[in-house]
Amino acid sequence: MDRRLFLKVCTAVALAPPFLFKGSVRAEESQFKPYKKALLVKEDGTPLRPEEVDPKKQYLFFYPYRSTPCLLADLGKEVKPVQVKTQNGDPYTWPGGVGPKKSIVAFSAICTHQLSYPTPDQSFINYYPSGMVAKMSKRDRVIQCCAHMSAFDPERGGEVISGPAPFPLTAIVLAYEEGKLYALGTLGKEVFEDFFDAFKPDLRKMYGSSRRAKELVDVCEVVDLESYTKEVIRC
Amino acid sequence: MGNISRRDVFKIAGVGAILGSTHLYTASVWAAKRPDRMLPPPKGNRVVIVGGGWAGVTAAKYIKKEMPSAEVVLIEKRKIFMSCPISNVWLGGLVEMDFLMHDFHTPASKYGYTFINATVLDIDRGKRRVYTDQGYIDYDYAIIAPGIGYNYDAWFDGDKDMARYCATHFPSAFIPGSEHVTLKRKVHNFEEGTFVLVVPPPPHRCPPAPYERAAMIAYVFKKNGVKGKLIILDPKEDIKPKGPGFRNAYIELYGGLVEYVPNAKIKEVDPVKKVIKTTAGEFRFDDANLNPPHRAGDLVWKVGLVNPKTGWCDVDPLTLQSKIDPRIFIAGDAASVKGFPKSGDMAHNHTQTMVVKALVALMKGKDPKEAVRSPTNTCYSMVNGDPKEAIVINVIYAIDRKKGVPVKKKVNVENKRSSRLARATFEWARALYRDMFS
Repeated sequence: MDRRLFLKVCTAVALAPPFLFKGSVRAEESQFKPYKKALLVKEDGTPLRPEEVDPKKQYLFFYPYRSTPCLLADLGKEVKPVQVKTQNGDPYTWPGGVGPKKSIVAFSAICTHQLSYPTPDQSFINYYPSGMVAKMSKRDRVIQCCAHMSAFDPERGGEVISGPAPFPLTAIVLAYEEGKLYALGTLGKEVFEDFFDAFKPDLRKMYGSSRRAKELVDVCEVVDLESYTKEVIRC
Repeated sequence: MGNISRRDVFKIAGVGAILGSTHLYTASVWAAKRPDRMLPPPKGNRVVIVGGGWAGVTAAKYIKKEMPSAEVVLIEKRKIFMSCPISNVWLGGLVEMDFLMHDFHTPASKYGYTFINATVLDIDRGKRRVYTDQGYIDYDYAIIAPGIGYNYDAWFDGDKDMARYCATHFPSAFIPGSEHVTLKRKVHNFEEGTFVLVVPPPPHRCPPAPYERAAMIAYVFKKNGVKGKLIILDPKEDIKPKGPGFRNAYIELYGGLVEYVPNAKIKEVDPVKKVIKTTAGEFRFDDANLNPPHRAGDLVWKVGLVNPKTGWCDVDPLTLQSKIDPRIFIAGDAASVKGFPKSGDMAHNHTQTMVVKALVALMKGKDPKEAVRSPTNTCYSMVNGDPKEAIVINVIYAIDRKKGVPVKKKVNVENKRSSRLARATFEWARALYRDMFS
């Protein structure tokens, strides 16, 4: 593990309130997986500034692999570190939001239930910003998948609120340094290998080969999800 | 009879008498005559799953995922899987047959369980032995997922000839296979007259399915300019809870084509004269989809795991262990759990969150009830074909640990049909097929 990243995550964990430390530190550390440090940029290639993230929208970028989609959102208020509950595994500490308001969060947009993810045609898994209440989970500020109605809490590290998902969304650990946003790695259980396996034909079609789909990225273009996909399916 | 014992002879005779079918009798004699042990004796961790439907296939995968050391054997009589969920959409011509068909070998190979393509003839619960047409397999635990059977006796009072006539000429098509193909041909060939769809009394497989089927038949009739009508004979007083969604579709999309008749409990069915007498009147038909009452699949009747008063298997409502034999779990539609619909999603979900969790805990020496998680159920219903539009119900359950039962925590219904829900219908199916078969 990269020493700098290790220290960064340890710092995030250290900043968390003492009541969060129920699981062993070793178990919590083991949940963080560092990948390439990737700068988040706009379509023109310039760094994405936190104030350019509209709290009423949901954004998409691909990380840690060029084919694995992530949702980025500004929750509009400070999001504090929390201990994330899981069904089977150890709980782990999610470091909360980043940016000047500590309000920006990101999660892998691959549903941990049956791997639904945003494609250029449609997106069944979406963030419902403040004021947009999801019909099925009856709440806003939620990430919900309309394939089987799993709902996740972006304020609590992607924890499962309801539905059949067996564990939280994989959190993307972000950093805010000198006005720029970076992705550092993941926190929580990953489903990337299942994703690569399940969508092999689609990924080959889109990226040319499985190998290319699995390339790690060091720059992530962040786009408005509504402009990426033809239809956002909400329910 | 070679090395068959006297006791075996009586056993065979008994099985034959129970089966009452020359064909099956011959098969069981043949199986017993060649008492081939198909697998070595189990070592305490063998789970034999009988039935490769939604529940059985899910069980095989998730036991191996949760407990790789378990030896899992899936026995299924069909050579290929055909999905009942989405078959109405296929009936409407909105997807190809390919969408419903899946192979058993890919998941068996990927997750490391043994798939055996054989027909189970009997189970000796005392010996923990499953007899198939190819030999026998011993188990430590069994999951039986036989799905449903048709109770034609309720209509024809034991008249097997009439039951066979009805099943041949007006197949129910709630058990995937040839029946579905027959029904599709009937629907697409229908030109004029009265087509009757009989809704079976509850509990039956997939509560909204008959109403979705009616919508898809009406869609085909409308597209083909059929001069006539579809009559839905429903023993219930109303369609719930997706009633508004279905009723609006019948009226707004297929006005004049669909006649919904509530409180139509069956009094008499005459498939030869094509007349049905109900508590709501007498109906003559030119063609029909006649759905008799459902009950648990045949195998669990044969091995004494059914409550004859209900027609379904009594189980522990958390672990789905048979109340008659706790070594056996009943997964899918054959189990009777209050509040659980007999749907594909529910079978997939309760198998994963309850049956597998409980069984794995049991094998690990832990409390099976504590291991159980609360299930959910999501059922989409396609009500229009052009544009494709659907409605949906989603039920979230919670576990009442004190009472030891699952309870409905939230019921969300979207009765306003929409294209986005139609797209979600396909995603729902693709994702679950992917989970079970890829």
